[in-house]
Amino acid sequence: MRSRKALLFWYIILGLIVFLTLFSSVLAPFGPNEMSMDEVYLAPSGDHWLGTDHLGRDVLSRLLVGGKVTLTVASISVLLSLIIGIVYGGISGYFGGVIDAVMMRLLEALITIPSLIIILVLQAFTQGSMWHMALIIGLTGWLVTARIVRSEFIRLKDAEFVKMAKMFGTPIWKILFGHLLRNSIPAIFVITLFNFAGAIFMEVSLSFLGIGIPPAIPSWGNMLYYAQNDILIGAWWIALFPGIMIFMTILAINFIGEAWKNPTWRRLND
Amino acid sequence: MIDVRDLSIRINDKQITDHVDFNIPRGKIITLVGESGSGKSMTISAMLGMLTTDINVSGKVIYEGRNLLDVSDKDMKSVRKKDIFTIFQDASNSFNPSVKLGRQMYAYSGGRIGDTTDVFNVKMLPVLDKLGLSWDITEQYPFQLSGGMLQRCMIACAFYVEPELLIADEPTSALDMVLQKQFIQLLIQLNEERGTTILLVTHDLDIVAEAAHEMVVMQQGRVVETGTVETVFSQPRHAYTKRLLESRF
Amino acid sequence: MTVKWVGKRMVMGIIVLIIVSFLSFFIMQLAPGDPAAAFYGGNAQTLTAAEKERITRAYALDRPVAQQYVAWLGETVKGNLGTSYKEGRPVSEIIMERLPNTLLLVSVCLFFIIIGSIWLGTVAGMKAGSIWDKGLSTFSIATSSIPAFWLGMLFIYFFAVSLGILPSSGSSDIGGDGGLGDKIRHLIMPASVLILTHVGIYARFLQESIKKENSKYYVKVARANGVMERTIQMGILRNASIPYLNYIAMTIPSFFGGSIIVESLFAWSGLGQLTVKAVVTKDFPLLMGSIMVTGVIVVVSLLIIDLIMYAMDPKLRKGGIR
Repeated sequence: MRSRKALLFWYIILGLIVFLTLFSSVLAPFGPNEMSMDEVYLAPSGDHWLGTDHLGRDVLSRLLVGGKVTLTVASISVLLSLIIGIVYGGISGYFGGVIDAVMMRLLEALITIPSLIIILVLQAFTQGSMWHMALIIGLTGWLVTARIVRSEFIRLKDAEFVKMAKMFGTPIWKILFGHLLRNSIPAIFVITLFNFAGAIFMEVSLSFLGIGIPPAIPSWGNMLYYAQNDILIGAWWIALFPGIMIFMTILAINFIGEAWKNPTWRRLND
Repeated sequence: MIDVRDLSIRINDKQITDHVDFNIPRGKIITLVGESGSGKSMTISAMLGMLTTDINVSGKVIYEGRNLLDVSDKDMKSVRKKDIFTIFQDASNSFNPSVKLGRQMYAYSGGRIGDTTDVFNVKMLPVLDKLGLSWDITEQYPFQLSGGMLQRCMIACAFYVEPELLIADEPTSALDMVLQKQFIQLLIQLNEERGTTILLVTHDLDIVAEAAHEMVVMQQGRVVETGTVETVFSQPRHAYTKRLLESRF
Repeated sequence: MTVKWVGKRMVMGIIVLIIVSFLSFFIMQLAPGDPAAAFYGGNAQTLTAAEKERITRAYALDRPVAQQYVAWLGETVKGNLGTSYKEGRPVSEIIMERLPNTLLLVSVCLFFIIIGSIWLGTVAGMKAGSIWDKGLSTFSIATSSIPAFWLGMLFIYFFAVSLGILPSSGSSDIGGDGGLGDKIRHLIMPASVLILTHVGIYARFLQESIKKENSKYYVKVARANGVMERTIQMGILRNASIPYLNYIAMTIPSFFGGSIIVESLFAWSGLGQLTVKAVVTKDFPLLMGSIMVTGVIVVVSLLIIDLIMYAMDPKLRKGGIR
């Protein structure tokens, strides 16, 4: 019961963050790139609730708009890795045999390479828009999804109802989508949630390193990139708030994911 | 030696055993007979104090004037360590898969009664010899041996420890016929040579006929009949016992 | 079976290195300008005809791509990683300067993460229902949700800017004696950030493995026979450590990713910071070199973990089924 309430709390937190960032253009008190050289490094106050940065830009406004950027990039990349993961894992799991063996060896090898390294290489040549960023994170984030989809497909392939469907001559695409994929959804959902948290981590990390989203676009990671210097002169608010937002978002996703991972809990809610 | 009185076990609202009464006489082989689900294994677990706290147990298990259901954890551990040896059904899963058998057998025998490994090496060798096991098995891992061999390793430890009471919970049900016979012979040997009291849990009346002096018949959590094997076999009183005996031939 | 298992892990490592080498070679192919210059470091004009001739021959630059790859791989294996664009020095030389710092940071962190997680995970796993048991999963989710670099920034603010007790960045004081004390003072913050953000998830994994092991049949049998609790727990820990090691192996690549970010934040002069710098300054030969070396480090650490697992798990050694 207690955990049920806690979960509700995390749903609300995540919903609130999504709501705030989604309507950031209406809610933000200032333009996110509105500079004012008279108002640099102002501590939080009545005018600027969360203070201003080194160019006199309002931190709150940048935080809201930046959240939209970060969450958009994460969503698109997760969608992309979801598609790649399902296709790769689905082929590997459904066909099995040599195809599966080769595909899995390759997957195991790819998992061993830190994805940050691959992204760094890609970024060295093609640093571009935020869409680019989403593409690159998506292209490197599908490995675990593929593995989960594969094991689900292998498990379901031998299930009674799938065998029956095959016996009755159900077309292959119907078996793939209607039976295998549909019944894998709970597992895929959980891994996608964790993937989403991972994609947020990746965007903020890369932008923080100065090789993510172009610095002109506000994102939580980019804000922290500048905050590195600000913190040395004591302007803590520029670093604190984006970090809290990232932390709360990922925390909420992780707690929700954990709850869904637990099969007994899932059964209670069906 | 052990008196089980009025033992009732309840999990949530399900009555597992209901006022179970029986006595384990010293120096005898007594069998607890009944089909699966009759509450035999639960009764054993209760006697050993192995039930989790959410399970409701009432009644008494009197051993050396103490009620084992009331004694402290520490005292119960000491009883399990010094006085009772328990052999379980699934021998191939009874040992830690990644520790050599020698070390585990030491933990089950010498280690329990405070012998050093040197003493263990000297005392265990003739026991293994007698049971037809080579000393080499002490250097092997459980997955390298068959279930029958592992069950013999267990009983080797019992021979070593010479416990007051040996409890064997369906020890042969995972073994084939030949091994079953051998194993039962070992139990009889242990009883005759060392005078060890044995509580044998089984559903197999052939084993009862071969090995036991006395028997307790359980059905759906109740004791329906007790007595010496001869009397029960020749004059069964309860309908369930009669049915059991009929189905045997 | 045994030979097969070891062989399989070795083949895996080689495949990984080949993929990394493709990745690395691909950088050279995409790098703008004269490929000969990419290996030389400066721009093509400063290259003498003889040098250009030598590089072209060494790297088979006038041959098809496949032969270029083989030639490049040969040079790389020999330790010749080309010349940095920016510094004009051999890449291998620059990397060798940085390597000790990265190895120091990574090994210190892994040491404390493993010790800490074994301790936390064992206490939490063995005492079911205790505060440790319940608290660990929350602690683990919370700490793994904190971006490491942000935690690092908070640390810098508190310990360097506000309190002034630790240096905010670098791996040694400029003009300092470069002694051990100085190194340790610089190591404290980056190491504690990496340890704090990682120890929880590993501890939790071990805790869950221990709980699973604790409910196994052999444990019940041992408890019923009054086998010493210490002996039982050592046995449980031994068995639980095999999936735990496997989990470390699986997550070590992302740990290395995390260390790259932390190195950059604290300007810890190691391989990770070098890699990021190479990306930012588009120093392609340097990037290729750092990636190859990072790949080798990851593969070697995985092999070490495999060997430990091999030693711990008799089923692997004796050819049982797994």
